[in-house]
Amino acid sequence: MSLADLCLAIRDTEFFTAIRESSLVYPIIMSIHLSSIAVFGGLILMTDLRLLGWAMTNVSIADMIRQTRLLKRVGFLVMVTCGILLAGSKPDAYYLNPYFQLKLTLLALVGVHALVFHRSVYGNSAQLDRQPAPPAVAKVAACVSLALWLGIVCAGRLIAYFEPPKPHVASAQSSPADIFQRVKARTRR
Amino acid sequence: MLQLSFDPSANPLNNNEWSFPFFECIHIATFAMSVGTIAIVDFRLLGIAMGRQTAAQLLKATWIWTLVGLVIVITSGMVIFTTDPLRYYYNSAFRYKCIALLCAVIYNYTIHRKVASSEPSPLVAKLVGGFSLLLWISIVFAGLFYAFT
Repeated sequence: MSLADLCLAIRDTEFFTAIRESSLVYPIIMSIHLSSIAVFGGLILMTDLRLLGWAMTNVSIADMIRQTRLLKRVGFLVMVTCGILLAGSKPDAYYLNPYFQLKLTLLALVGVHALVFHRSVYGNSAQLDRQPAPPAVAKVAACVSLALWLGIVCAGRLIAYFEPPKPHVASAQSSPADIFQRVKARTRR
Repeated sequence: MLQLSFDPSANPLNNNEWSFPFFECIHIATFAMSVGTIAIVDFRLLGIAMGRQTAAQLLKATWIWTLVGLVIVITSGMVIFTTDPLRYYYNSAFRYKCIALLCAVIYNYTIHRKVASSEPSPLVAKLVGGFSLLLWISIVFAGLFYAFT
């Protein structure tokens, strides 16, 4: 079983079919996905601006990082859960989509970013506060984080601008129902 | 409204591939900035995060970013609106969005600011913060539902 087959099997489960076919559930999940970008993306943005020394300077770096950690984790979980529900119910629109692939790559790099800067910045905030200005490593971490998240938001929006390859009508793998799904998926966006 | 109903095909935004998604990306990134910074104050009012600061301190630290974000998000929204004004005008989700946005901006610079910069009782703080968060999120929902109605 290839990854594509697995995606199709997931898509065709009752649960994901129901999400795709509901005229209300699908946009609601998308709205929650987008709202969590606003609410929790804002926390990431302000943390990064604090590390750069551009904003929130009346709050210590330690307070900024520690007091938003739990909310960021909850937000990330909500965002990723909604993302999985969206992509799982319409893999036709995502699987071959270069913007989706770019988005997942950037998301993986967010993980790398956390690993690389945990010791020197995010797990070391009390030490950073003892210095008169945020050190260069904190500024680098903030800039990379901003670039990654901005890239993720833009790639996410651009997903809608990729036309999936048209199925061959005569192909045995494309039943009329399949084609109908693809056309519907495209007009919905 | 009639004056706005020009031919969308004459709009430069509809005549190249990149400009519409470009403005959409700006719109999304800056609503994250404006709503996100308001949400930080709201979370404090709700007592969910940033408990070691007062709401007034957080408001002082975020207001300029909120304002810059709001200016850019509304401007880019107007640019997007010009691509097909009549379609937006007759869309119920868009109409809700416009009214709610107006209310949210007024609310944000009157009641919300007043409560956040004073020392409100926990109940008042929770009501004001919760309403603010719900109102702004409903605008995000309406922005998305526009495409589905």
